[in-house]
Amino acid sequence: MTEHHSLDDEMRTEVEQLQLDENGDDDVDLNMVIDLQSCTGCGACNIGCAQENNLQEGVAFSSRIVETDGQFPNVSYEYTPTLCNQCEDAPCASGCPTSALYEGEGGITMHDPDQCIGCKYCMINCPYDEIHLHKEDPHPRWDDDEAVIDEGTATPTELKAEVGVDGDAPAYYNPNREVGEHEHPTRFKGVVEKCTFCVHRLNKGELPRCVEECPCDARIFGDRNDPDSKVNEILGRYNPDVLKEEEGTEPKVKYVRDYNGGSYERGKGEPALGD
Amino acid sequence: MSKNDTTNDPTDTTDSAGLALDRRGFMKTGAAGAVAAGLGLSFGLSSLVEADDYRDALVEHTGEWRASTCAGCTSWCAAQILVDDETGRAIRTRGNEHSQVHGRNDCVRQDMAIQQLYDPDRLKQPMRRTNPEKGKDVDPEFEPISWEEAIEEIADKIMELRENEETHKAMVTRGRYTYLRPILYSHFPQIIGTPNNISHSAICAEAEKAGPMFTEGEWSYRQYDVTETRYVICWGADPISTNRQVSHYSHEFGDLLDRAEVAVVEPRLSSTASKADEWLPVEPGYDGAIASAMAHVILTEGLWNEEFVGEFEDGDNRFVEGEEVDPDTFDESENSHGVVQWWNLELNDKTPEWAEEESGVPAEQIERVARRFAQAGPNAISWLGGGPCMQIRGTYTAMAVHALNGLVGSVGNEGGTLYAPDDGTASLPGPDEFTDEIAEEGLAYPEEHGTGDKIDQRGSLELPALKGGESGGGVVTNNAADGILEEDPMEIELLISYWNNYAFSNPESQRWEDALEKIPFHVTIETHPSETAWFADILLPATHHQFERWGQLRSTANGIRSINLHQPVLADDPDDPEDVLDNGRLWDVKTDETEIVYLIAEELADRGFDNLFEYCEQYEDPETGLAPSEEYDGGSFRDRELRAQAFSRNAAKLRTQPMWDPDVEAPPGDEFDGWEEFREAGVWNSDHWEYRHRWPSEGGEFDTATGRFEFFSETLRVGPDTDVDPDDDIDLEFDVDDPDGLEGHAERHDTDVDDVLETCNYLARTDGERHAYVPHYEEPYDMGDDGDYPFKFVDYKDRLNREGRSANATWLHEFKDVNPGDEPWEDVAKLNPRDAAELGIEDGDEIRISSPAGEIEVTAKLWEGVKPGTVAKTWGQGHWAYGRVASEEFGEEEHGGSNNRLIGAEYDRLSGSSVFYGDVCVDVEKL
Repeated sequence: MTEHHSLDDEMRTEVEQLQLDENGDDDVDLNMVIDLQSCTGCGACNIGCAQENNLQEGVAFSSRIVETDGQFPNVSYEYTPTLCNQCEDAPCASGCPTSALYEGEGGITMHDPDQCIGCKYCMINCPYDEIHLHKEDPHPRWDDDEAVIDEGTATPTELKAEVGVDGDAPAYYNPNREVGEHEHPTRFKGVVEKCTFCVHRLNKGELPRCVEECPCDARIFGDRNDPDSKVNEILGRYNPDVLKEEEGTEPKVKYVRDYNGGSYERGKGEPALGD
Repeated sequence: MSKNDTTNDPTDTTDSAGLALDRRGFMKTGAAGAVAAGLGLSFGLSSLVEADDYRDALVEHTGEWRASTCAGCTSWCAAQILVDDETGRAIRTRGNEHSQVHGRNDCVRQDMAIQQLYDPDRLKQPMRRTNPEKGKDVDPEFEPISWEEAIEEIADKIMELRENEETHKAMVTRGRYTYLRPILYSHFPQIIGTPNNISHSAICAEAEKAGPMFTEGEWSYRQYDVTETRYVICWGADPISTNRQVSHYSHEFGDLLDRAEVAVVEPRLSSTASKADEWLPVEPGYDGAIASAMAHVILTEGLWNEEFVGEFEDGDNRFVEGEEVDPDTFDESENSHGVVQWWNLELNDKTPEWAEEESGVPAEQIERVARRFAQAGPNAISWLGGGPCMQIRGTYTAMAVHALNGLVGSVGNEGGTLYAPDDGTASLPGPDEFTDEIAEEGLAYPEEHGTGDKIDQRGSLELPALKGGESGGGVVTNNAADGILEEDPMEIELLISYWNNYAFSNPESQRWEDALEKIPFHVTIETHPSETAWFADILLPATHHQFERWGQLRSTANGIRSINLHQPVLADDPDDPEDVLDNGRLWDVKTDETEIVYLIAEELADRGFDNLFEYCEQYEDPETGLAPSEEYDGGSFRDRELRAQAFSRNAAKLRTQPMWDPDVEAPPGDEFDGWEEFREAGVWNSDHWEYRHRWPSEGGEFDTATGRFEFFSETLRVGPDTDVDPDDDIDLEFDVDDPDGLEGHAERHDTDVDDVLETCNYLARTDGERHAYVPHYEEPYDMGDDGDYPFKFVDYKDRLNREGRSANATWLHEFKDVNPGDEPWEDVAKLNPRDAAELGIEDGDEIRISSPAGEIEVTAKLWEGVKPGTVAKTWGQGHWAYGRVASEEFGEEEHGGSNNRLIGAEYDRLSGSSVFYGDVCVDVEKL
């Protein structure tokens, strides 16, 4: 049998070698480049993220902007995957009165729920709508003890008991966020939260879940300060775009090529990293 | 912008500025937790867990990736499931790294599987209906019963039919399956004695198989060589979203756009169309006009592949618009048959300008796409989806679309359209020795009674269903409802339905509600409650295919055929039936295709009919030689359950024995030392498809009547097994003995082919302007006149659909806008804003859509990706009994509306396929 050395394998090798420091005293600049031509808009990133991070319905760290332009038959549809941009100049952190948001390892904008007072300044300051407030105890739908068919189907609480998941969590609870001191596994009411590039995974040498989950190799992740990284390779090939560049936040999430990769001219000659 | 609901509103004051509670306020399992839960304490209030209870490693690093298979669509990807070492729970899934079809890449549908496995609304144990009245609005009043009781009731009913010699009144319906399917779907009905095994295939895509069948003798799906191709035309196919092997095609698509051009013929802006070079927004139902015009362009411009098609003897291209060609001037290649006849009978006047009038697609665009496709040939793909051919006259469109591959020589060729390399799996032990006289009589019942060969009336004059070219060879799934209601060819008294939801998934599904209401004893085997289960007398809870059972499926793409194993991954030792029963599944669930058959077999043996049991005893473990009863010989029900599980495992081992047993011959591909090595890998890969090996010029043969690729279909005329000499002049008077095909079907009904075609709503005739035996265009057959129903309805499948089984998964609703134009948590019907303005409909208005078949009420979405004059709607919502998320109120009210309440029960009768597309006319009004 053939062992595949995929783009993911190569990026994972890079991540395993990173020397991250929790206080941000490292020389690592983590960036994600999203290759829109490779993206098929399938949402695997979003579902992987929701499961990895035990997100309840209504909260998506990995999300999307979809836009339709033009008039039939000249009409385009674009899907832009979104997530926290881990801005170099992060307005969420600079406006946080308790320093709950701060620059952590690899330049990731981290959040300390112990310091957070839920004041929502960060939400107002973030131009990308990427900070999420937990307005209620998590996963209320899993508190339900009603069955749709009495004794024939389960109830959410019964199912959780059956599989040994306790607390405010879904039955498909992922324990990965218990690892390390960064995260609360399911979170709680009254604080905000955001994407951390899956720092609990990075610290154990694994790629962010959205990167690994993407079946299209559309997410390229790594250290901008490593000249040989895959992320530098693609940034060397294409001049990237960022969302709302005019905000001056210097996002670490960048976009290359067009979602509408086809054109009326034959092939643009812009190969992806998988080529 | 989508109105997706993850927008954060910082001005919302709900619960603002709540205190940051203890960050370790989350509680793990344990005695303290159970007490706290019992007391109703809020977990957030105190720290019940010490930090050292937390993990220091990711599940990825301590758990195990175990192999199984995803059947969330017909891609059937080989899978790996991460099982947590501490809790035994499945944590996540991915593509199987050993698969050469897709590697670790899967698609978004597989990622949703754990929401099905851990769905609170799964059936957890058998139930019995207590309310004798049946109906959509009638609560079945189910009560829990034991497996023993349930199986006894089923055995009693079977014995009653056998004692009355009325076994033909039994029926089995299947939906999704694994390749252990012969046991329940074929062998069980044969031994019991009923001809009525009805599959879902005709609501899947049988018309899609008819195109290649009647051109190159393959009743099957294709694989497309996307890594080597230079041009792709997708016809109603959306390969990065639905259709087959989405994992592989999604992974390759970005690169494909660099390497090749992509054109999409589709009435709505699909996922693939949104990324393509060209979108040809065809008027629904008129795809065939474009296909004929493209063939016309390719021939008049001299762009066909000479090696595959042939050439004019003197080199002068006589394919000139409006002119007939003398066949004697054309030197046909030995690879194909009948291009000149195709030209003379269909193509010579089918100009792009003509096609523009018919289809609404600009002539210039048709011409450009045809030209560039042919110039890229033979590395060019004409990719047929269900859209153009699951229409009343769809078989001929399917042939026209597929014939383009013949014109450019991409058939079986590099960068073209391929089939699957040899499979090599073993046949399962059969039922013939165990079929007694009572059974034989039951099986033969339709020969003497009523209409057609089975309860779906296949093979009747109106329903040729020419699978493989044989009259009545294929299923007409949806017509079984009419068979049941009409009691023709027989009355149905016992139905066993499994892994399907016919009362939701068939067009004009209302008819199935009536049919199911009529059946006195109905057993259904499902993971979830469903609209079908609502009418059942016995509900048996099924194992989830990806996590809890044995089975086998297969994938085809990237030039490879893979054999993929399903296994009960939650058990540490899946080979050990005790471990599987104790740890391998979530609730008291069993496997439809194997364990349940086995339990019924023992129960029937207790009643003196042991044929099914003796059949099951053939399933010896190929490694130990032990039959199920030799492995466990006890008398308790638990022992029976263990035997049933051993039977299940043995069936999987027997079926895949050529893959893993070095002493059994297999086609070229992966080699394994034994069962355990294969089981752990979970996938066997064939060698790569050998390009052009079926071309006669390379010493091969197509499975057609002429042995060649047929532009003039002798195979449709007389079937693939009748040899027709391709060098004979085409002469329809030329008689063959005992033909199959259309002539065979006509002979069976003592009539002629033209009568068959007229009866079946086709315009083609054996001497007509539209010719019965060449690929051609027929205008759509509208279901509803355009005065009352002025819009065409464009149905297509949800990207997160998981074959209709994921409507109770929240992620489907949360991310529903991955279907271009859709909205999260809503079931919208999409209208072009110009049409909406005329109707006074605004975004978000509630509207009623009605057709001659029925009506639904849904939310309007104004979207430019919809062709004016059409209404586009994603299929999959409208459930009222599939769980709390899928329904607005379980058992009471549907969420959104089901497209199948609008789509009438009609057929592409040559293939038996149900109609979903092209012909469905609707009206729209604001509520």
